[in-house]
Amino acid sequence: MRIIRDKRLYKGTNLSQMSEETGKQLSKEEKDARFEAELLPVLDPLYNFAYRLTLDEDDANDLVQETYLKAYRFFDYFEQGTNAKAWLFRILKNSFINEFRKKSKQPAKVDYSEVEGYYNSDDVEGEGGVTTTTDMRSESVQDLIGDEVASALNALPVDFRTVIILCDLEGFTYEEMAKILDIPIGTVRSRLHRARNSLKEKLEKYAKTMGYNS
Amino acid sequence: MESKFTEVYQQQASEDSHETDCEKVANLLDIVIDGEATSDQSEFFTKHIEDCVTCFESHQKQKLLKGLISGHLKRVIVPERLALSIKAKIQETV
Repeated sequence: MRIIRDKRLYKGTNLSQMSEETGKQLSKEEKDARFEAELLPVLDPLYNFAYRLTLDEDDANDLVQETYLKAYRFFDYFEQGTNAKAWLFRILKNSFINEFRKKSKQPAKVDYSEVEGYYNSDDVEGEGGVTTTTDMRSESVQDLIGDEVASALNALPVDFRTVIILCDLEGFTYEEMAKILDIPIGTVRSRLHRARNSLKEKLEKYAKTMGYNS
Repeated sequence: MESKFTEVYQQQASEDSHETDCEKVANLLDIVIDGEATSDQSEFFTKHIEDCVTCFESHQKQKLLKGLISGHLKRVIVPERLALSIKAKIQETV
């Protein structure tokens, strides 16, 4: 996706922006500085959200850029000091629905037999309870858990993935989530509930292949 | 809702109310772990799981699940060029 917006023609003739609400004159430099100070700190969570939605780094990159450009265009409507993170997440989610959803990749399927095979081939046997407990703290096992959680999450439908990311990873409140997603709080709750059940199911399946009983 | 029941009804009612309590707790699980419960709801929840092993365990499980996402899902690293290219595009935009 390419975003070309060549407005160099107008450069110099319209260096200052008029804020419609306050009528206050704001130079482009001031506006840019404020924009960067208020909105760029959200880049990391925003990119992570984009990545979890698109499951593709290039798409996430495009989606985030698009989001910031839209935010810039509508920055006059953004009230300083209000929830910049929720505002940007909302813009990104709308862009995703409008443009990316159709072409985004299908969720990756988790191949449990592959995981199972990997474990059985090595020294982690089913009854090695003590070994397993010790191993749980090692970095590689932590990584494996992370990978497994990611696979299970990525295998969820995008609406389920979204509420889990917003709630558990980004710590948004139900009210913020309702605003970001344009749905009532009751729907946030029920969607989150179903999403967690679905995630639990996938992870329990995995836990069983590793010899844990839930 | 106070009304007179026969013995049988009373017994049934108490069983029902136990069931209802577990159901209520199950419905509160998410809002409790997400910190969205009111103080009344939290109090009811906490009291119930002190006595009910099944609900206590569901609560532990639900917390674990949330912890797996918040604690184990690796964050992807933002490409360095992204912030620069956003700034550049913004500066070009009038």
